[in-house]
Formats: sequence, C-alpha cells, structure tokens
Amino acid sequence: MRTDLTESHDRAWAAIAAPGTWLEGARRVAVAAEIRRARECAYCAEIKAALSPYAVKGKHHTTGRLSEAEVELIHRVVNDPGRLTESWSQSVLARGLSEGEYVEIVGLVAMVMMLDTFSHALGAPPRALPEPQPGEPTRYRPSGAKKKAAWLPLVEPQDAVPADGPMYPSPKAGYIYRGLSLVPQSLRDYWALAFHHYLPAELVYRFDQSIRAISRPQTEVLAARVSALHQCAY
Amino acid sequence: MLRESMRTGGKEIDLRGVTQGFEEGTEIPHVAALVEFAEAVVARDAARTARAREALRGKLGEAGLVDAAATVAAFHGFVRIADAIGIPYTTAARGEDAPEVRERAGVNDFYRVRTSTTSTPADRT
Repeated sequence: MRTDLTESHDRAWAAIAAPGTWLEGARRVAVAAEIRRARECAYCAEIKAALSPYAVKGKHHTTGRLSEAEVELIHRVVNDPGRLTESWSQSVLARGLSEGEYVEIVGLVAMVMMLDTFSHALGAPPRALPEPQPGEPTRYRPSGAKKKAAWLPLVEPQDAVPADGPMYPSPKAGYIYRGLSLVPQSLRDYWALAFHHYLPAELVYRFDQSIRAISRPQTEVLAARVSALHQCAY
Repeated sequence: MLRESMRTGGKEIDLRGVTQGFEEGTEIPHVAALVEFAEAVVARDAARTARAREALRGKLGEAGLVDAAATVAAFHGFVRIADAIGIPYTTAARGEDAPEVRERAGVNDFYRVRTSTTSTPADRT
C-alpha cells in the first residue's frame, strides 16, 4: 500500500473528528455514522428503484442523532446523487439547514464515501469511527461567496481573499474544485484526500504522465464508468 | 478525460462504452476486468467485488489493484460533490461544454440533464 495513501487516510479521519466550520466534532462524527447507516436504508432503496424519486413516501432508517434535514441530505447524497435537483436542495435548506452546514455535510459525505469505498473495494472492514475532538466551529463564511453558477454559493477563484486560506491549484480551477468553496476548510480537507486517491492537481491535465501503478487510460476508464453508474453528468 | 488520455497515446476510444459497455479490442489493457471491478464496487456487492478484485489482482498485481481501488473510491466522492452542489455540467470539459461528447457517451440521458433547465453558468446570472 502506498504510504502517502494511508497517511492521507489518517489525516482525513482526524479532520473528520475535529471541529469544522459550522459543525462541532461530535456532530461531524455523527454525520459519518449516519452516512454508514444510510447505506442500509430501506426507504433509500425504494427511492433508488423508483422511476420518480420524489414521489416515494417513507422514512429514512436513521441513527436518530441528527435533524430531519441533515438525514435527508445525507441519505439522498449517499444513495441517489445522480437524481438530486435544485428544488430538492432548496427544500433541505428550508427545513432549517444553513448553506454552510449543507456544504460541510456534503464534504463529509464525499470524504467518508471515498474512505469506506476504498476499504470495501479491497475487502477490508471500514475503519472504526474516530473519537470527536472538542472545540468550537470557526463559523467562517468567505466574503466572496456568491450563488451564481451552482445551486449553492461558490467562491470563484477571482473572488477568493487571503482570509479564505489556500483553495485553488490555479485560477482556472474547474467547478469540481469550487464545489465546496463556501466552506474553505472542507474544500482543503477533501482535496488533501482526493489528490492521493486520483492524481495531484498538477498532473490532472498531464495525460502523458502517470505516477500510479495503472496507466492513465486505465485510471480514466474506471473514473468514467463509476461516474456513469452514478448518472453524474459532470 | 478518457478521450484525452487515449489521444495522448495516439488512440481513439468509442465513448459509448462508458454507458453501454466496451467492445473487445478496446486498446486499454484489462478493460473488462477494470469495468467489472468498478461496477461491483458501485453495486456494493461484496461477493462480486471479491471475485472482481481477485481477477484484477491477477492482472495488475497488488499495487495496480490498490490504485484501481483508490480511483474507484475517489469518484464516489467527486460525483457526490458535483451532484449535491449542482455545479454546471456544461463546464465539465476543462471549463467548456462538449455536447457532442455528452451525446456520444449517453450522458444526455442522465436524469440531471433530462430534467435540467440550465445550459451555462452565464444563464444563471
């Protein structure tokens, strides 16, 4: 196993357990637990099988530690991400979740799904959830965040300020980089993990180079097939 | 990205394979085993994943298997950010739209595209 990969996992779990920008450490670990519970949710399985995902009525199988809005966000993003809609995202916010909380939770879903899927793919048990770390969230909202290109506000590279901390590998960073930018720390935590799983930013468009044990076309065929199976249009 | 990575090596690939399966003769070594591994993991089918993993290990070795698993796992994260934040799919090709690629790959049949009224970020201002 690459040591950079295992070390990135250690850092990711530590980040998940630490206080975030809008969520305390205990709530972040509760989100991780809910992500795992969501994978066994019978209601989500019904939704996934339905032609009309928003017509199915029922209740999520939940740990009971989070609000209804948080549970709905986590379960839908875990189980049927390709059929989310802007009106659905707005309905989740209307149930009492702030935009910052929404984005921070999405970042946690993305990290935990990556970590747990890696374990599953290699036949290893999922790692035990970490102990939450004490402390207060920073409650930092970037001054340049605007709702324009996506369903949630983003910080475009030209609108980033030093107080946001480092976010983008280049001023031309694609929208996938900008997705979590309303919560810069979530963006940094996510990409600190993703670069070790996929490719470092500086190599993403260097198709003539591969630092992995599989070729670049092999990497991209996996990426394309997984994205297609999720019905991800991006 | 798949198309570009192939072109760098002077090769082409039929993008319909992304949604319809790849034909024999695709110039990516062990493509069938790779795709079977990806599909098994996405399906969260432990027994199927175990079989696909052993097949892939036999073809790629341990380091190759780990990097295949890391890639498959990575895209379980990327897709969720893209779809939960609603970033514009019309910028997926290095900031540009590539409707011919979407059409060829079958992406235009995806729920998000079929139900979307969005065309470009500029339209949303």
